[in-house]
Amino acid sequence: MDGFLQIRSATKMYRTPEGGSIRALDDVTLHIRSNEFISLLGPSGCGKTTLLKCIAGFEDLDHGDITLTGQSLTRIPAHRRPFNTVFQNYALFPHLTVERNVAYGLDVAHVERKERTRRVGEALEQVGLAGFGARMPNQLSGGQQQRVAVARSLVLKPKVLLLDEPLSALDRKMRESMQIELKSLQHSVGITFIFVTHDQEEALSMSDRVAVLASGKVQQLASPKEIYDEPQNEFVANFVGTSNIFKGKVIAKEGRTLTLKTANGRELAVASDRFGVGDDACAVLRPEHLKLSGEARDRAIKGTVTQSVFVGSEMHLHVDVGLGRTAVVRHRHNKGSTEAAYGPGADVTLYYTPEAAHVIECKGA
Amino acid sequence: MFERIMSSKGWWRLFQAYGLVFLIFLYLPLALIFVYSFNANPINMAVWTEFTFDWYKTIFFGAGTAGSFDAAFTESPDRIFEVVRNSAIVALSASTISTVIGTATAIAIRRYDFVGKKVYQALLVLPMIVPDIVLGIALLIFFVGAGFELSLLTVIIGHTTFLSSYVFVVVSARLAGMDMSLERASADLGAGPLTTFRRVTLPQIMPGVVGGFLLAFIISLDDVVITYFIAGVGSQTLPLFILAMMRRGLRPQINALAILLLSFTFTVAAIGLYLRSRKS
Ligand SMILES: Nc1ncnc2c1ncn2[C@@H]1O[C@H](COP(=O)(O)OP(=O)(O)O)[C@@H](O)[C@H]1O
Ligand SMILES: [Mg+2]
Repeated sequence: MDGFLQIRSATKMYRTPEGGSIRALDDVTLHIRSNEFISLLGPSGCGKTTLLKCIAGFEDLDHGDITLTGQSLTRIPAHRRPFNTVFQNYALFPHLTVERNVAYGLDVAHVERKERTRRVGEALEQVGLAGFGARMPNQLSGGQQQRVAVARSLVLKPKVLLLDEPLSALDRKMRESMQIELKSLQHSVGITFIFVTHDQEEALSMSDRVAVLASGKVQQLASPKEIYDEPQNEFVANFVGTSNIFKGKVIAKEGRTLTLKTANGRELAVASDRFGVGDDACAVLRPEHLKLSGEARDRAIKGTVTQSVFVGSEMHLHVDVGLGRTAVVRHRHNKGSTEAAYGPGADVTLYYTPEAAHVIECKGA
Repeated sequence: MFERIMSSKGWWRLFQAYGLVFLIFLYLPLALIFVYSFNANPINMAVWTEFTFDWYKTIFFGAGTAGSFDAAFTESPDRIFEVVRNSAIVALSASTISTVIGTATAIAIRRYDFVGKKVYQALLVLPMIVPDIVLGIALLIFFVGAGFELSLLTVIIGHTTFLSSYVFVVVSARLAGMDMSLERASADLGAGPLTTFRRVTLPQIMPGVVGGFLLAFIISLDDVVITYFIAGVGSQTLPLFILAMMRRGLRPQINALAILLLSFTFTVAAIGLYLRSRKS
């Protein structure tokens, strides 16, 4: 195990104004590697910012500890940790020019003037803002401010860059181009990026690994592909991508193929190494694994279209398959094709392979 | 409803007239003493005789420069310089110390959470509400009890107690609008608490600090009630001096002195407003 940045059993409580207390972090254990791009993904309020603050040193843990290459950070104040943060609102100093903002950390460290000028120039170059040094922060667009914030941190050559939803304030186009830029920046500077986001697509597309958080707990830490294909639990399956989740009981097992019987009596064949007859289980089927036409070896489910939504490149069909839930199917439509046939009320047969299904334990099945 | 009434022309006229009357009500007395301060009539200032600078001259150069009639009434210019100097010393020291205390307190209150914070905050604002006369008596009793001799120092200490509250309120308002993450960003970039204060916090709240200082300065400069109780024999301030003068009759020099004080106060306020408009 790479012992770069280790977070062990981190717990953080906050007092609420009502006098109670909440666990913003609940026994979080994460091992973060050097030079990786790791995302902390979760819904608003799940503790992402809190975790980042604890790593940066703005908050103290109530339990657990954080170590960097084996050394505990507990007693090291924020300003002496080799980490830098890109804040959610950028937190650029409004009274300083772009250049002074970027130079701030070097000024504070009394870096000699010639080197300071050189490094500030380099950093601004790196984020594509050469020539913007004399501007004030309020004379920049959101995207440019964001780059200044990144440059201000990177100029100090931190071991870890912490980014708290840095793209959430940008419009869609800007966000997409910044995603690519940040990713390639991480690649070129070769340091660890811990990237907080609530946007699952962003997390999947940018990261080497993703840690999914919910209510202060780590739900799963894995590569984007694994998170998507093999979600560990219902929360992850639901939060990351669209999932059709069917709950049932295993009534038969033949090799790797399980037969899952749902509450309303329908049967579903899925493949899994785990689970035995009598277990409760949930089958996760991604929309792209349900097809409207199939081959001989595919399993079929019959259903009725309840709704069809046109989203441009494809149709999203909501199909009542009598499994207690509506299934979502993506259908790539061709110009002038038979869209009408898939309108509400149309009977369809959905095909899937048992291998495509991912089986997880059900909470409270 | 209100909008509709206001939009009718007649009502609008009436409203404008009201605004005008109110302004006159506010400024007529000031305008009067301004005019009177140039009226040569030494007996009845409400009856205009001719234009004169004499009253201003007597303030600066003594009675000899003006008509002989007035000589008996006029204070010596030395005396006036002394009380002006006292006022300046008190106002400058008290507002400077209050600015330091009030600003530091405002920052601490903003930054730290502690038990009883709300109560503490309320107690900090209280001196602004406590009647001046009560505060004056309380301070006097305290100084006497603690064995202080009444002097400029007691006036400075006394003013500092309640002026700190004013600075606290003004700086707190400014701090409330400051993004707390700026300080965190500064720490994140390696700055210790002192550097962060000097390079980030202070520049951000400077307009509030300057505003608080000027407010404290002006309040200190014209305070009568509290100063009355805690000023010693040799520590009379300008407002107390004017008050003492008035006791011996309403005389034209008072108008001139009042106009000088007013001009100075307006200048200070104007500087404050200018600084504020420039900062934001
Ligand atoms: N200073 C604080 N005092 C009290 N509760 C807080 C404080 N900061 C965060 N919380 C609470 O902790 C939880 C996690 O917050 P946060 O880490 O900001 O979530 P996220 O960044 O994932 O949206 C939330 O329920 C939030 O209300
Ligand atoms: Mg957050």
